Amino acid sequence: MKKAILSFLLIFTLILTGCVNTKSDVEEKSSGSGGSGDSSQPEIEILGMSSNEEDMNIVRDQLVKNGFKVKLNVQPDYGSYKAQQDAGNFDVAISSWTTVTGNPDYAVRSLFISGGDYSIMADEDVDALIDEASTQTPEEYAATYKELEQALVFDKAYIAPLYSSYKTQALNKDLLKPDSVRLSKSRSLAWETIDFQDEAKRSTDPLILSQAISTLTSLDPIKGNDGSINMLNSNMYVRLVNLTDDDKVTADGSLSHNFSIAEGNSEYYFLLRDDINFAKITDKEAVDTGEMVGAEDVIFSLDRAKNKDSVPDHRTYSLHEHIEKAEVVTDLSELEKIKQSGSDESVRAALEEGLDNEITELVDNNDAVDNGAGKYQVVKMTTTEPFPQVLNYLAHQSAGIVSKKQVEAINTYDVDKFDVNKDIPYGDQNTITEGAQYDNTLYASGPYILSHKNDYEAVFYKNPGYMTGTENEPKIENINVRFIADVDSSLSALRNGETHILYNVPENKYDTVEKDDKLQLQSMESNAVSYLLFNTEGREVSKSEDLRKAVLYSINQDEIIDYYQGNKIKAVSTVSPLVNTGNELKADADKAKEFLEKYQSGN
Amino acid sequence: MSTPKQSFMKKYALKATSEYAQANFTLVTSAALTFIFLIAGIDFSQMAVKPVLFSVFIAYAFFTLIQAFITYKVKRDLNQEGEIQRSTRAWGYVQLLSILTGNIFTASFAISLIKKRKTPQYIFAQFMVMAQVFVIAVSALNLFKPYVADTFLTGMFALIAILVFQLIVLFLIVKEKQQPNTPKWKLTVGMMLLLISFTGNLFALALGLFMLLEVFSSNQSTIDKWYNIWEKIAGNMTSMLGMFFIVFIFSISVCSYWTFDYDMAIENNYAAILQSPSLAYPLGTDNFGRDLFSRIIFGARISLIVGVLSTLIPFVIGGILGAISGYYGKRTDNILMRLLDILYAIPGILLAIVIIAAFGSNTVTLIIALSVGSIPTYARTMRANVLMLSNMEYVISARALGSSNLSIIFKQIVPNSMAPMIVKATLTIGGAVIATSSLSYLGLGIEPHIPEWGNILKVGSAYLESHSYLAIYPGLAIIGLVLSFNFLGDGLRDALDPKLD
Repeated sequence: MKKAILSFLLIFTLILTGCVNTKSDVEEKSSGSGGSGDSSQPEIEILGMSSNEEDMNIVRDQLVKNGFKVKLNVQPDYGSYKAQQDAGNFDVAISSWTTVTGNPDYAVRSLFISGGDYSIMADEDVDALIDEASTQTPEEYAATYKELEQALVFDKAYIAPLYSSYKTQALNKDLLKPDSVRLSKSRSLAWETIDFQDEAKRSTDPLILSQAISTLTSLDPIKGNDGSINMLNSNMYVRLVNLTDDDKVTADGSLSHNFSIAEGNSEYYFLLRDDINFAKITDKEAVDTGEMVGAEDVIFSLDRAKNKDSVPDHRTYSLHEHIEKAEVVTDLSELEKIKQSGSDESVRAALEEGLDNEITELVDNNDAVDNGAGKYQVVKMTTTEPFPQVLNYLAHQSAGIVSKKQVEAINTYDVDKFDVNKDIPYGDQNTITEGAQYDNTLYASGPYILSHKNDYEAVFYKNPGYMTGTENEPKIENINVRFIADVDSSLSALRNGETHILYNVPENKYDTVEKDDKLQLQSMESNAVSYLLFNTEGREVSKSEDLRKAVLYSINQDEIIDYYQGNKIKAVSTVSPLVNTGNELKADADKAKEFLEKYQSGN
Repeated sequence: MSTPKQSFMKKYALKATSEYAQANFTLVTSAALTFIFLIAGIDFSQMAVKPVLFSVFIAYAFFTLIQAFITYKVKRDLNQEGEIQRSTRAWGYVQLLSILTGNIFTASFAISLIKKRKTPQYIFAQFMVMAQVFVIAVSALNLFKPYVADTFLTGMFALIAILVFQLIVLFLIVKEKQQPNTPKWKLTVGMMLLLISFTGNLFALALGLFMLLEVFSSNQSTIDKWYNIWEKIAGNMTSMLGMFFIVFIFSISVCSYWTFDYDMAIENNYAAILQSPSLAYPLGTDNFGRDLFSRIIFGARISLIVGVLSTLIPFVIGGILGAISGYYGKRTDNILMRLLDILYAIPGILLAIVIIAAFGSNTVTLIIALSVGSIPTYARTMRANVLMLSNMEYVISARALGSSNLSIIFKQIVPNSMAPMIVKATLTIGGAVIATSSLSYLGLGIEPHIPEWGNILKVGSAYLESHSYLAIYPGLAIIGLVLSFNFLGDGLRDALDPKLD
């Protein structure tokens, strides 16, 4: 009996050994590129937030497979991530950037120029290329940005690009007309076009949106540039120009009838509309103040936008540093004399294009304006140097037009002696938060005005004096913005009908949205790029270009795109979504190995 | 003619016979499993059957029917005869075959049904063999993978050889007659059993230890005392099932060093992302194309190590502090206990989060973080025991004989106050496993790519709707392990509590 079992076992094992592949058999065949676990492997510390855990894991896996040792530094939120980054506790940091203005200069200036807002590097070649490209027109700058990418990524390897993302939103198509909900590459969601399927609901039912952050930085447009207020301020303040869904500068839905760039690319003319009034909140109702949004307000807004000292905590002046001055033009003949940039026609011709009534007179005073009778206001803006991309910055929410009268009446404090405990600046979120401090002093020039908010939601009303009778008049009377911190909860809220639109659907939930009959998923390429930022101080990677390049060529973007099931796009730098430079980063294990050996032999 | 005693036995046979209660329990759990496989085996959207799962359902249904039949026979026997007939017990051999379907409930019932006089050795040996079969079967699933670990074949061969040896031991135990002298083979076999328990099969360890105790101990009362404890545990089916699952998990995580490939669990494979369960990936793959089955097996290692160590550390520290505090009393007691009260006032999970935030997240800090918070509860339990025991006559007599304080504490008091501590420990291991997983789930535990049950569950939670298996399997593993420790703790309490005698 025992013998039988034994012999059976023996035969069994013999058969097994014959047909089972062991790991070393398999690896011999593919002559694996993985580094053996010797102690000379360089260690790379990856810093990231727990929300980027997937990216960190992919990078970790790719680095390990290319012979690195990897240490993860996972931080729970942006604050602690930033603290670790400032302390220099990383070799590479998973970083991301979204170009909200839609122009390539913004995508590189503050990130990579020496002394930029977010820049940790100093390289003369890169600086020169960024400055050169900023003065060029789109046809010219493609080549310059290609050179910049070559220097930034391939020659010096200051960053290692990962991917560029899609921008997605999901909406309840049973309730809303899908065509009325815009999805724009850079621009925030425009509320005035959104409409219910059942138009009778416009005045009875609120449109319910959601956003993650409930603490609003400031409702003064120049004092914030973050996720808490971008969408809100964009819809509360009108601008001189807007961006189309594919990031072209347009006058549609803006304060201007038309705009024109004068030859030399340093002077910009805007022909203002007369059918937008400021709205204010009285007894939790939106009221038309009867005060027109005029040239005076435009000049005031642009002056304070570029002036660092116009308000305490000015967070957006660097976007507007190219503005030299803004002024009213009253001499109609000036417009006729000056030619448009790149054309033989006069600026006047550009400004008059498509107008119902030709310009007969240019006026200064708001009271004298009457577009119907041909009396218009024109604002001329001059830049410090030729800089066509300035229009993109004017389309950003921080260039929103505020009321000169109202802001000056509220901001009576001395900027140098501003006391956060005593002085209440215009746009302070406490003034619109329900409670003892509630005192809504907002003057909105945009389609909607914020009435009041609490931790649960913010309530907006339609501006009754906003382009009435035109196609840009807001359709829905009330809009509520719910504050839901967790993206999974916001998706649940959308699915059970609690909210109507969800901005930024995570990749792994596309299926869920698509399977839901009442939801529609809209998606387009965005300006968001994720990349690895190399430390520039005190680490091996900051000293050795070879080590950085070894990391660079270990990154395999195809695998990342596979992981996201095709819902990511290849990128080379932060300008990739904006300019087609033709560059591509190809993963190359041999190159990675070569650079790694070079680095190791240099030690 | 039946004597009054016999008729009494007959009258209460149903209630007095453990087999009947066990048969019912087994029937219910087996039916529940069958039902689960029935639901899983039918594709309701197309009203079609899934061949693999449906055949599993049929196998389970078959043995559930046998179980129903056995239960009926047991009931009839007990009502008519007052005891279970040999013919009914013979059905146990048929039911034993159900181990091939992996139905541990029917198989373990079959074990207890076959023999009328069940020695704890017999039951332990049976469970030892079953655990081994399970480990081999689960490890053998790796054969369907594209490749196996280099040591896989050696490991499997060793495991099978050990199984053969265990079957021989089982045979010897079944054939063992009651006799005054301990048979000579027990020494060798006991040693061998200790040796093979390095595979993590703790049933073998227990069995081996008991055999050596029989060989070496001259004191019959010691043997009887242990025999009684083992007998009580062995007679408690739920606690044996709990122990079985713990031993199985422990053993597979030890054996996984040889039979599983770690790279399968941590290396991303973008060609196999989010695949449904198949033979190559028995539990499917996760969002990085890693094999969920391997990840859960390797995750067991960390969950068990952290769970056991973070129970052991406060057990020792809290135990010593409690013993000192209870024995010396007065000021010592006051100072120690008030300090511990302060610690007790801080919520455990909050303290753990603070410690991890301060010292970074890795396995060592995790263990420390989870340990510190539960020191006071152990100290309190120990102190209460010591306070009660230190006034006992034997302690007073030891003191009168001039023993030193230390020797009284560690020789007289501590050994006698162990029982409640052990019970408490088994009950809190489950809590520690959950705490580990919760911390990982919150992103505060072990690095996200390391397989740990909380980490795996966290990934799964994002795919609850589209790929629910990613959350269900690690969830089941956590539930199973925690429940097993609780069952085992219950059984140990019954076995160790002198008041229940």
